[in-house]
Amino acid sequence: MSTPTQTETTPQSTFARLRDLWNDYLPYWFMAPMVAVMVMITFFPGAYDLYLSLVAEPTLDVFAADFVGLRNFETAFTRGGAIHSFIITITVVVSALLLETVLGFVLAALVAGVGSDRAKSFYRVLFIIPMAVAPVSLATIGRIMLNSEIGIIPYVINTGTPFAAPSFLSDVPLLTVILLDAWNWTPFMFIIFYAGLSSVPKTLIEASRVDGAPMWRRYVHVIIPYMKPVVFVATLIRLIDLFRTFGVVYGLTGGGPGTATQLVSINIYEQMFINNQITVAAAIAIVYLVLVVALCNVIIAKVGFEGVWD
Amino acid sequence: MTNSNRRTFLKATGVGLLGGLAGCTRGGDGSDGSGSDGSSDGSGGSDGGTSTAGSDGELAVPLSEYEDADIDWRQFEGSSINIGAVQHPWVSAIKPAVPVFEELTGIDVVWNVLPEQQFRTKRQTDVSTGAGQFDVFYMDQVVNQFREEGWIQPLDPFFDDDSLFDEDWYEPDDLFEASRWQAHGGGYSDTWTGMPITVEVQTQFYRKDLYEKHGLEVAETLEQFRQNAKTIHENESDVVGTVGRGDKGYGMNIYILNTFLRQNGAELWDSFPDDSGLDSDGVIDAAEWYVSLLQDYGPEGASTQTWSDVLSTMQEGRAGHIVSDANLFWPGLTGSDSSVADKVGIAKVPSPADGQFSPNAFNWQISTSKNAQNSEQAFLFMVWASSQPTNTWMHVEGDAAFSVRQSVWENDEFRSRVGENFAQVTLESLQEAAPDPFDRKYPEWGQRYSEELQRAIAGQKSAEEAMTQAASIAEDIYSN
Repeated sequence: MSTPTQTETTPQSTFARLRDLWNDYLPYWFMAPMVAVMVMITFFPGAYDLYLSLVAEPTLDVFAADFVGLRNFETAFTRGGAIHSFIITITVVVSALLLETVLGFVLAALVAGVGSDRAKSFYRVLFIIPMAVAPVSLATIGRIMLNSEIGIIPYVINTGTPFAAPSFLSDVPLLTVILLDAWNWTPFMFIIFYAGLSSVPKTLIEASRVDGAPMWRRYVHVIIPYMKPVVFVATLIRLIDLFRTFGVVYGLTGGGPGTATQLVSINIYEQMFINNQITVAAAIAIVYLVLVVALCNVIIAKVGFEGVWD
Repeated sequence: MTNSNRRTFLKATGVGLLGGLAGCTRGGDGSDGSGSDGSSDGSGGSDGGTSTAGSDGELAVPLSEYEDADIDWRQFEGSSINIGAVQHPWVSAIKPAVPVFEELTGIDVVWNVLPEQQFRTKRQTDVSTGAGQFDVFYMDQVVNQFREEGWIQPLDPFFDDDSLFDEDWYEPDDLFEASRWQAHGGGYSDTWTGMPITVEVQTQFYRKDLYEKHGLEVAETLEQFRQNAKTIHENESDVVGTVGRGDKGYGMNIYILNTFLRQNGAELWDSFPDDSGLDSDGVIDAAEWYVSLLQDYGPEGASTQTWSDVLSTMQEGRAGHIVSDANLFWPGLTGSDSSVADKVGIAKVPSPADGQFSPNAFNWQISTSKNAQNSEQAFLFMVWASSQPTNTWMHVEGDAAFSVRQSVWENDEFRSRVGENFAQVTLESLQEAAPDPFDRKYPEWGQRYSEELQRAIAGQKSAEEAMTQAASIAEDIYSN
């Protein structure tokens, strides 16, 4: 009689162990590729940015770097103009978001109320067009159309109204930036709100009509509450996107006059590619990242999805 | 039209509009030509590949022109060099002559031509990581930063090598003094940091017809210039007295202002790095003059005018004269793009009545990095490219007008091609030019200085407040 040797049992038991390992951790294996991708495209750049913000100057040999603590952060907030650019960014984000939400909803409600299907299709296409214009094109077109000497908009204001057109890019640059962004992105809100309005059950509206509720009451008490999730998701997406605004403002004003429209994104770009202050740019980027992520988390936690559907 | 036809038409129109608008984005990736030197007219060459000899086998310049030099042209036969360049008239002007270099030396030339901002990013990555991809690259206002970081290689050892350089043949003294000075880091370096390849100098462009109509004399002083602007501004409808760069950027408003502050007896960095000089009387006077000129007789929104706005306003005949600008504008103002091509005159920039004529100038140069694999081959290319035969051919046979060699500006064939007056004004301006000295932190404080000037032009603060603040910022940057 012979006892089973290890060499006879090992292949089978190894396979079984591997199978058990696979089955026991099945969800993790499915998640692994995504985690790997996330590490590569999100965590690694973030960690490298943090590293850059803490060193005197970037070097390929990361261990030979001269760490300077929070000095780059101090530079960013003293002579780097970080505070000013944060204020400008918040101003633009809040104003543009409000404007785009209100305008988008009003346009969606107007189009939804149009009787003819053909007219509805026409308006849908018409209102979506601005969204298809790329930021750099929009900035270039904007610069030409707003130019005080050769622009069509000042010409129309000067000849068609009793008012003198302001110099848009030098007298009211921040307002101009907000209005142009609203022109570009109101269609995004319009299309989402229009889809939301289309999904409101007709029975609800019929019922409120039978009850004698005027139009505004129907919107305030029936339609808008029903659309809360849509409004929340649309504004959250747009909010995050507004924090990333760069191309249209840089192309239009370059952040000026002076630093009147210097968003954080433009400030980071200038620190990086004009001033060659890579470490200061990294420090501003870190602070910005933390603030935006924190803000979005607070919004989601306070008025987030559960609250919307409650 | 039936319903279905209408629907099809509307859909097709919608798709067409969307497609058209999306198509507008092509080529608009930030290379808007707002180059810091103001010279990016976007005449880009191809973006890579090895250039070859012409199909007919004839070389643009005979090899005999170079064989007199006591230089061993063929010592690196069989190798190749990588050139990193911005889309710029120099690239398109020299490319047809590059087969001459390849035939002369046996060295292949590989071009990497990029829009200006993309090129700057790639160049910085190349040198700061030590990659050494480019053997030759375009160099501008960051020269002293690159030099102090040890990223570029001084050329003096190559000049001292008898097999690479022949002083008698090359004639370095033929290069404008301003060009040689800027190639030495604008006074911050004792060694050659690169070889100058193009130069532009500020001059004055004016509308001859309007001057004649209003009986104006071409301005020699700042006061006359302002008076001429006033006369045109007040007597012409749809024409502003003057137009000038008001936008920020170290190649924008301060590139112009620096001429006037020097003519006022001031200079950047009275005492480097303690006293920027930006709050001195000369600078404040110059800033006040420039700011009030643009505010009173310039277009609305002068603070956002870039070099291309200035050019197009003048081309469309909507300005009486340009405050001062680069000679590279000349082809644009007198070519087919200009509606006033035959009405534009050129003169030297005006200076204060008791001041000194001292126009600003800017040179692009080509340099080689410390990590370049083929620096000696690169140096041979620099010598060949900036030599008299190559330079003369580019300007006489080609359409270039930016030579760093005096002999080209004195060349009769060239002068008859570009016009006697243009050539003489530019030559005399270049001989007296005083380029900006770009210290190692110039890109940083220059940007802030230009922001302050832009604020003043926009009316957000006085010129004196702006310059005082600019001085404080510049000195603060060096105090840390």
